[in-house]
Amino acid sequence: MTDTKIAKMTAKDVHVFYGDNHAVKGISLDLHQDEVTALIGPSGCGKSTFLRCLNRMNDTVATCRVEGKITLDNEDIYDPSIDVVQLRARVGMVFQKPNPFPKSIYDNVAYGPRIHGLAQSRTDLDEIVTVSLEKAGLWNEVKDRLDSPGTALSGGQQQRLCIARAIAVNPEVILMDEPCSALDPIATAKVEALIDELKGRYAIAIVTHSMQQAARVSQKTAFFHMGDLVEHGDTTDIFTSPKEERTRDYITGRFG
Amino acid sequence: MSETNKDFKPTDWHSDEMNARIKRRYRKEKTFKAFGLGAVVVAALFLVMLIGKIASDGFFGFFQTSIELDIPFEQSVLGNPREMSPEAFQEQVKRANMLRLIDAAMKEHFPEITNRRERRDLIRMVSTGARGQLRDMILANPTLVGTTKRVSLLASDDIDQLHKGKIDKNEPEANRKVKDKELGWYNKLEEEGRVTLHFHSTFLTHGDSRDPEMAGIWGATVGSALTLVVTLLIAFPIGVLAAIYLEEFAPKNRLTDLIEININNLAAVPSIVFGLLGLAVFLGVMHLPRSAPLVGGLTLALMTLPTIIIASRASIKAVPPSIRDAARGLGASPMQVVFHHVVPLAMPGILTGTIIGMAQALGETAPLLMIGMVAFIVDIPGSVTDAATALPVQIFLWADSPERAFVEKTSAAILVLLTFLIAMNGLAIWLRQKFERHW
Repeated sequence: MTDTKIAKMTAKDVHVFYGDNHAVKGISLDLHQDEVTALIGPSGCGKSTFLRCLNRMNDTVATCRVEGKITLDNEDIYDPSIDVVQLRARVGMVFQKPNPFPKSIYDNVAYGPRIHGLAQSRTDLDEIVTVSLEKAGLWNEVKDRLDSPGTALSGGQQQRLCIARAIAVNPEVILMDEPCSALDPIATAKVEALIDELKGRYAIAIVTHSMQQAARVSQKTAFFHMGDLVEHGDTTDIFTSPKEERTRDYITGRFG
Repeated sequence: MSETNKDFKPTDWHSDEMNARIKRRYRKEKTFKAFGLGAVVVAALFLVMLIGKIASDGFFGFFQTSIELDIPFEQSVLGNPREMSPEAFQEQVKRANMLRLIDAAMKEHFPEITNRRERRDLIRMVSTGARGQLRDMILANPTLVGTTKRVSLLASDDIDQLHKGKIDKNEPEANRKVKDKELGWYNKLEEEGRVTLHFHSTFLTHGDSRDPEMAGIWGATVGSALTLVVTLLIAFPIGVLAAIYLEEFAPKNRLTDLIEININNLAAVPSIVFGLLGLAVFLGVMHLPRSAPLVGGLTLALMTLPTIIIASRASIKAVPPSIRDAARGLGASPMQVVFHHVVPLAMPGILTGTIIGMAQALGETAPLLMIGMVAFIVDIPGSVTDAATALPVQIFLWADSPERAFVEKTSAAILVLLTFLIAMNGLAIWLRQKFERHW
């Protein structure tokens, strides 16, 4: 694989341990601006664990230990001088289950900008909320009811609200952990279209169980198996001419 | 696909055995439901009996018998307000023997009684509190002096009980508190329509007294309220902060396990032990005032803390982790995660636990006995350092009193305590609904 562009995030030889369990075994992977990288593989292969290393969400798990080097713009994110709170603002995350706060739609989106002091005035904040909801393709559906609770939206709308909430803090990277697994096909299509639109501005990594989804939304695909990164490269190459036996078996549905 | 050739026998869903099993299952279910309903009915019956008994006993505690007498406000006893300075008049009224006025009124009604001893018994049909009643009347209205006016005076507790029918007139005289002679006087006054029963506001506005007809619940109510305020101010912040720390920040290790076990054990410690602790620490070491709501509140706070901590931890634990993830993923600091999201969502549960703890503290007697809140206190406490008593202790004190009339006062005080409790629970329900959020 030849990378001509400079990588936004780079992982080098990353190992993750949960106590004695070696969950991720020496993974090296780059994430690029303007690109969606799909992480695929059977359950328990370490793809979600790896994803959660990229914004240090694993820090909250007491038994979790991360080795290796992960950089964001050439800065080591596990360096003690890095503020994890700011890191998570720069590397946003969307979760498997839509998890809006039990607050109004407006407050959901405004929460990030508020805690990071991104808006100087109420007008600024209104602007951020509007733009975020527009980018998430939700504005037209909710503009008349910004004060109603975010939890009253449908599942697909909730997930797009979560994406709007992540966008609102102006991140550089967005990590998505199976964002469509709890959604119906129509909502999934909307979120996928949104991901496609967002890739111009952010480096995106998406964990998915759906091979079709990986093929539809990603430019790069990485196949994980048993904590190893088996193969990664351009999505078209992985799906049409995989180099590894295991990759071929997985994408043709022979296991997993 | 199958790895074995063995196959299940075909199931006969209509066999006798199957039918019998189904019948048995339905029977079990019916029996269980019947037992459940029975349990509810028994519990409800006991509750109704308990409340009914207390309410029927306590109802008359809010009422008091009075005797109306034509009191001559004699100048010879009280002095003439027109000839003296107001201060001198007040001074004289305060020192005047009001019994002489009552005696004079009684002489009008019962001119035939001249025996000194019988005259004294006659006066005793009126409460000792009647003296204060007359004094206050005269001080409020000095122009009464020189006139005769029909005044409603508190009856003594025995006459009160007689009028309420609590003393059996047919019992032999030797076993009766009201003797035949007094019964005759009472009957005469009664026939003249001078004995009346009316709502007794003194019970709700005054402090304790040795005389049942003068005793009130307000001192104990204020004492309880002050004690609970101290308890709440100490136990709520400490309990909630401890719960948040243990649940959200503390590392999970031996030490925190040990702390958790000890908090659970502390919740099961008999309350009197907390009383002993309060006695030793707050009075013995820190020399805080004895019998004060401050010390009572501190002691009850110690007792309530485990309840609040356990309830708060449970409701913090019940906040879905996805909410924490969402906030963390946006770059919220651990404290922001807790105070912006976890605590607001856990608030209904925390408040419920707190109110349960406070209700427990409200009904607690034993620890208060140890720190001296069992003293006989007439004054209404004005601050947390004044000597005071509390509602359950007042009930305990009255239940222990020999006077017949304190029986209904005890039940009436229980009614006041229950009202206090219901009000607190009502507040809890209101708060919970106010803070409840759905997700």
